Amino acid sequence: MAPPLAGSRVLIVDAEESSRVMLAGLVVRAGVDAIAFAGDGEEGLRKVLRFRPDLVLLDVRMPRMDGLEMCRRLRRDLGEATLPVLFQTPADGDADPAHCFEAGGSDVIAKPIRPGECIARVRHHLEKRALFEELSSFRRRVEAELTQARTLQLSLVPERRHLEAAGARYGLAIESHFETSSELGGDLWTLRPLDDTRIAVMIADFTGHGVTAALNTVRLHTLIDRIPLDAGDPAGWMMALNAALKATLPVGQFATAFLGIIDVAAGTLTGVGAGSPNPALWLPDGSVRLLESSGLLLGVSRKASYVSRTVALPPGAALFLYSDALIECGGPAGIGQQAVPLLVGAAMAGAPGRPLHHVLDRVFGGRPRPLADDLTAVWITRL
Amino acid sequence: MDFQARTTPDAIEARLSGRLEFTDHDRLRDLLDLLNGPGARRFVADLSGLDFIDSAGLGMLLILHEECESRGIALVVRGPRNEVRRSIDLARIGEVLTIEY
Repeated sequence: MAPPLAGSRVLIVDAEESSRVMLAGLVVRAGVDAIAFAGDGEEGLRKVLRFRPDLVLLDVRMPRMDGLEMCRRLRRDLGEATLPVLFQTPADGDADPAHCFEAGGSDVIAKPIRPGECIARVRHHLEKRALFEELSSFRRRVEAELTQARTLQLSLVPERRHLEAAGARYGLAIESHFETSSELGGDLWTLRPLDDTRIAVMIADFTGHGVTAALNTVRLHTLIDRIPLDAGDPAGWMMALNAALKATLPVGQFATAFLGIIDVAAGTLTGVGAGSPNPALWLPDGSVRLLESSGLLLGVSRKASYVSRTVALPPGAALFLYSDALIECGGPAGIGQQAVPLLVGAAMAGAPGRPLHHVLDRVFGGRPRPLADDLTAVWITRL
Repeated sequence: MDFQARTTPDAIEARLSGRLEFTDHDRLRDLLDLLNGPGARRFVADLSGLDFIDSAGLGMLLILHEECESRGIALVVRGPRNEVRRSIDLARIGEVLTIEY
């Protein structure tokens, strides 16, 4: 579908008064009524700045500054990279059309001008520009909206000051990383203080990435806020969360998740898995084990039930949670789950102050960005 | 992911190979097209030749399950191995659909 050209503007640059009048007649017949004129290249450049044309119809041979030079300056000095410039080439064959293209011309029409051809080409270039403008403005709008949405998404995951506050309250050192594979991602992680000795941490990863997955993270965040988390029954909470998600998610969309409740008085971690990668637990004796995290994906079946498991989390121990991007996107074919305990051990030995940074550097250092999937990782060490 | 389909009098069998992941949504449509053949009571998705499945791939199995159910066809997911089996077990989708190891 051709966009209407009524709002388009054409600048005619030609030394001959008679040519200008003839060309203007054709441009009007093409459907354009905003027309400006210039008699040479210098005037032409000034008019481009003032009149803001959508197309320049340009003669080659003119006094003071010829068409080729005007076109070069238009592209180079005025930064008009996409403004269509339609050259008329002289009939005597003196100016090679190749020179017009070299100078930055978009197209050429040979003199003597054939009205039908001229009208068709003017229309063609204006329509192309209108479509281009439309796409550009659509793109700018979507980009602006995505930027806003990204800010909103980032506000869903805990900020550094939250980590510090929770760390101070419960005697924890918390490091986190949140990286999306496009403007928006399908990962979420959150911290929820429960009482003076217990805090919950949850990581979730929705299928896919991009806008749909991001909307799902907002949905999940709302549900987490709305369903009171009973520290005594985390598996029951996961079931309630699952049922609420199942009620709203289309088939084929779901999340993997792991919920952990850290009890600093009892020195325990109670975990409930819903198919997330196995979290790693580092103990002060230097041993590392992967925690059970199997469980039906959240939002798949109303009947899903979950199991909580409690392990010791003594002072000095560390818990490492991560989305599957860690094991699937590192290296050419993914590093695999089995590599995680080794990475965790090496991080605690090599950089106990910044273990998460150490792990991510080992796995993703030098990897091209963006990654193929969203990457979230959280490291919690009991002090 | 690639698949080879074979039809028997009462069942459709699709042997999947390669990697079943996010980029395979179009292939899923081809798989679903198989369900529209006449008379099948069972659909067997043979995963023994599959090397990798990501969470989007698991989602495709769940969609396949739903589409089978709505047509009264019984879905059987057969023979996942290694990484694929590990992913399926971790996500416990055996609670929702039938898996034959």
